Amino acid sequence: MSRIWSMMDVGRRSLANSQTALQTTAHNVANKSTEGYSRQRVDIVTNQPVGEGRLRLGMGAKASQVNRTNNEYLEKQLEAEGNYLGYHTARSEMLGRVEQVYNEQVNKGLNHSLGNFFNSFRELSNNPESLATRTAVKESAEFLTKDFNRVHTQLTEIQNDADFRISLKVEEINQTTREIAQLNAKVQTVELNGTPANDERDRRELLVKKLGEKVSIKSAEGKDGMLTISVAGTGVLVSGHSQRDLSTAATPGRNGKREGNIDVFYKSTDHSTPVNITKQIKGGELGGLLEVRDAVVNEFIGGMDTLAYKIAEEVNMAHVQGYDRAGRTGNAFFETSYGVDGAAENLKVSELVSNDVGRIAAGAQPDAPGDNRMANVLSGLQFKGVFNDGKTTLDDHYNSMVGKIGIEAQRANSAQESQADILGQLKNLRESISGVSIDEEMTKMIEFQKSFDASARLVRTADEMMDTVLSLKRM
Amino acid sequence: MRIADKMQYEQVKTNVGKNRTTMSELQNQAATQKRVTKPSDDPLASSRVLANRIDLQGNKQFSKSLNYAKSFLEYTDQSLGDLSEVMMRAKELAISQANDAGANEDSRRAVAIEIEQLYNQMVNIGNRKLGDRFIFGGFRTQAAPFDTKGEYKGDPGEMNIHIDKEAFLAMNVPGGRVFLGAGIDRNGMAKPTTPQARSIEELEVQKMGGQPQAPGRGQGPVEAREPASILGFKGPTPDPAPKAQPQSVPAPPVAEEPGGVNLFRVIKDLEIALRTNDKAGVQDTLNHLDDGLNQVVLTRAQVGSRGTVLDNFMQTLEKAKVDNQITISQLEDADIFSTVSDITKTENTLQATLQTSGKLIQPSLLDFLR
Repeated sequence: MSRIWSMMDVGRRSLANSQTALQTTAHNVANKSTEGYSRQRVDIVTNQPVGEGRLRLGMGAKASQVNRTNNEYLEKQLEAEGNYLGYHTARSEMLGRVEQVYNEQVNKGLNHSLGNFFNSFRELSNNPESLATRTAVKESAEFLTKDFNRVHTQLTEIQNDADFRISLKVEEINQTTREIAQLNAKVQTVELNGTPANDERDRRELLVKKLGEKVSIKSAEGKDGMLTISVAGTGVLVSGHSQRDLSTAATPGRNGKREGNIDVFYKSTDHSTPVNITKQIKGGELGGLLEVRDAVVNEFIGGMDTLAYKIAEEVNMAHVQGYDRAGRTGNAFFETSYGVDGAAENLKVSELVSNDVGRIAAGAQPDAPGDNRMANVLSGLQFKGVFNDGKTTLDDHYNSMVGKIGIEAQRANSAQESQADILGQLKNLRESISGVSIDEEMTKMIEFQKSFDASARLVRTADEMMDTVLSLKRM
Repeated sequence: MRIADKMQYEQVKTNVGKNRTTMSELQNQAATQKRVTKPSDDPLASSRVLANRIDLQGNKQFSKSLNYAKSFLEYTDQSLGDLSEVMMRAKELAISQANDAGANEDSRRAVAIEIEQLYNQMVNIGNRKLGDRFIFGGFRTQAAPFDTKGEYKGDPGEMNIHIDKEAFLAMNVPGGRVFLGAGIDRNGMAKPTTPQARSIEELEVQKMGGQPQAPGRGQGPVEAREPASILGFKGPTPDPAPKAQPQSVPAPPVAEEPGGVNLFRVIKDLEIALRTNDKAGVQDTLNHLDDGLNQVVLTRAQVGSRGTVLDNFMQTLEKAKVDNQITISQLEDADIFSTVSDITKTENTLQATLQTSGKLIQPSLLDFLR
C-alpha cells in the first residue's frame, strides 16, 4: 500500500516539476527579445531516496533551483569593449561635425574667401584709381572676416553641443547608478536565503554595461552580491544601497579648456565640497566628448586664431606703410584691438577702411593715384611663407588644418567601425551562450509536456491500483 | 555552435544594414559624381584638392590681370607707333628743309607750322587715356602728364601687374622716359625696369636708394649706376651723396634725370630753326631726331617684348588652369563606370542577403508542431 502512496506522491511531484519547467520555458520564450536576458533552466535533481531493508528506493525528482546560463567573464569583456565603442562613437560623431565646418568639397569655405581676398588686391593693383576695385577689396575682406567668425562660431557651437550632451550623459549616469543601487538591495534580499536573483542580476549586468558605454568605471562584486562601482579612480558612485550623483557646472577656462564649458564634479558626502574630476574621466562617450571638446576643437580654434591673427598682422604691417587715395599713410586695414586668442572671433575690417574705401592703401608713395606697389605686396602675401620660419603660407596653414581634421575623422570612423564589429562578435558570443532559442524551448516544451503526461498517467495508474486494492473486500 | 534566435535576427540586421550603407554611399557617389564629399573620405586628396582650387582661383585672377595689362600695353604700343610716325614725319620734313636745293625761307616757315602741329600731336599722344587713366603719367594717372611746354607732370612710376605667383610685369611706360629720355642712358639703351618689391622690406630698400630717381642722387653720372641697376636688385649704394629721406617719409616723385633725348625740345628746336631759316640748325636737329626716333623705337620694342612675355604667361596660365581642373577631377571625382558596376554588385549582394535572410528566419520548430 505504502508503495502506491509513494508512487502517487512521486507522480504528483513530477507533475509539479514539469509545470515548473514549463513555467520557466514560458518565461524564456517571453523574454526572447529582452535585452540582457540570460536564459534560465530549472535544475531538477533526484529526491533523497528511502532505504527499506536492503532496498534503496528512489523518491523521484525535485526542482532544486532556477539558474541562468551566463558567462561572467564574457560580460566583463562586453563591458570593456562597450566602453571603447562608446568612446569611439562619441569621438567619430563629434569629429564628423568638426569636419563639416571644414568641408569645402561641397560648399565654398574659408579657403575660397581667402583666395578671393587676395584676388581682390590683384584687381586693385590693376586699377588702384577705381572706387569699384577698392569696394571689392573691402567686400572680400569683410566676407573673409565673416567666414572666420562663422568658423569660430561653428566650432564653439560644437563645444556647447558637447556640453549639452555631457550634462545629458551625466544625468543618465546618475539614473543608471540609482537603479543599480536599488538592484543591489534586491539582489541582497533575494540571495540571502541562497536563491539566485537571476532577473535582477541580468538587469544589473545590463545597466553596468550601459554605464560602461558612457564612462570608464571599475566595478567589483562583494560577498553579499552587491556591486561597488567607482569612476575616475576615486569617485565611488555605488556602494551597497547607497549611490552618489555626479554633477556638472560651467567653470572658468584653463589650459586646454575654454571658459564657460562645463566640468564634471563629484561629492563624496552630502556636505563635502564637490571635487572636479573632469581630468580623471577617461573613456566611454563622456571621455570621447570631453576629449573632442577640449583637445581637438580647442586646437582647431587655436589654429584659426593663429591664422586670423597672422593675416591681420601681415596685412596691417604692409598696409600702414602704404598710401591711400588721398596720400594719407598709417591706416590699419584690420582692427587690431585683440591678441592671438580670439582673433578669429574678433577679426574685423578697421572702421577707417570700412567707412571709406579710399583709405585702402594701394601705393607706396603719396600723391600717386596709379601707384599699385603696396597692392602688389599685399597680393604677394598669399604666397609668402609666414609660418614655420617662412616655410608655410596662409593657404598651407589652412589646408593642413583641413587635412588634419580629415585624417582624425577618418581614423575615428574606422576605429568606431572596427570596434562595433568587435562588439558585435562578442554580443553574438553572448547570445550563443545566454540567448533564447525558440527551437530549443519548443523541444523542452514538448519534453516537459510529455513528462507531465507521463506523470499524470502514473498518478492515474496509482489511482486505479488503489481502486483495485479497495475493491478486494467486496470480491 | 549554439544559435540563439536573437543572433539570427541580429545577423540579418547587421548584414542588411551593411549592404544598405554601401548602397547608399555608392548611390551618393553616382548622384554627386564625387568620390570625396568630405575630408575624411580621403584626407590627402581633399587637402590637395583645396590647394589646387586656390591655385585655380589665383590663376583665373592672373589671366584677368594679364588681359588687362595686355590692353594697356597694346594701347601704349599703338601710341608709341603714332609717336614714331610723328617723329618720322618730322624727320622727313627736316631732311627736306635741311638744304637749299628744295627749300627756302618761305617753305621753311610753312613747314614750321606743320612741325608745330606735330608738336601738339606729340603732347596729345603723351596725354592719351585708357579709360580714366593717363597711360604715360607713371603713377600719376589722374592728371595730364604733359603741359603744352612739354614739361612732364607725371612720375617715373611703373605699374607692375601680378601675373603669376612669383612674376610681375610692368604694363606702362612712364612718359618721362620715352618723351624726355629720362632713365635712358647715352647709348640709347633703356634701363631695366624696377622690379616689383615682394615685401615691405624690399619696398623700403627701393625707396631708400634703389630707384634711380631717388632724391639727392642726381650728381653722379648716369653710367656710374648702371652695374647695380642691371643686377635688378638695388641695395643702398656707397654713394657719398646725402642719404635718402627717412623711411617713413617717402621721396616725393622727382622727374628722372634726362639721359636720352627730349623729343619736345628737339621738335621745338627744329621749329625754331625753321622759323628763323637756320639751315645749320635744321641740320643739327637731324641727328637728334634720329636719336629720338631710336629712343621711341627701342621703347616700343621693350613694350613689344613685354607683350610676348605676357602671351607666354597667358598660355602657361591657360594650361595650368586646365591642369588644375584635371587634377581636381582626378582627386575628387568618382569613376562612374566603377561606381555603376559596384552598385550592380552591391544590389546583387543585397538581394542575396534578403533572400537568404528570409529563409533563415522563417522556419522554426513551431511550423512543424500541431
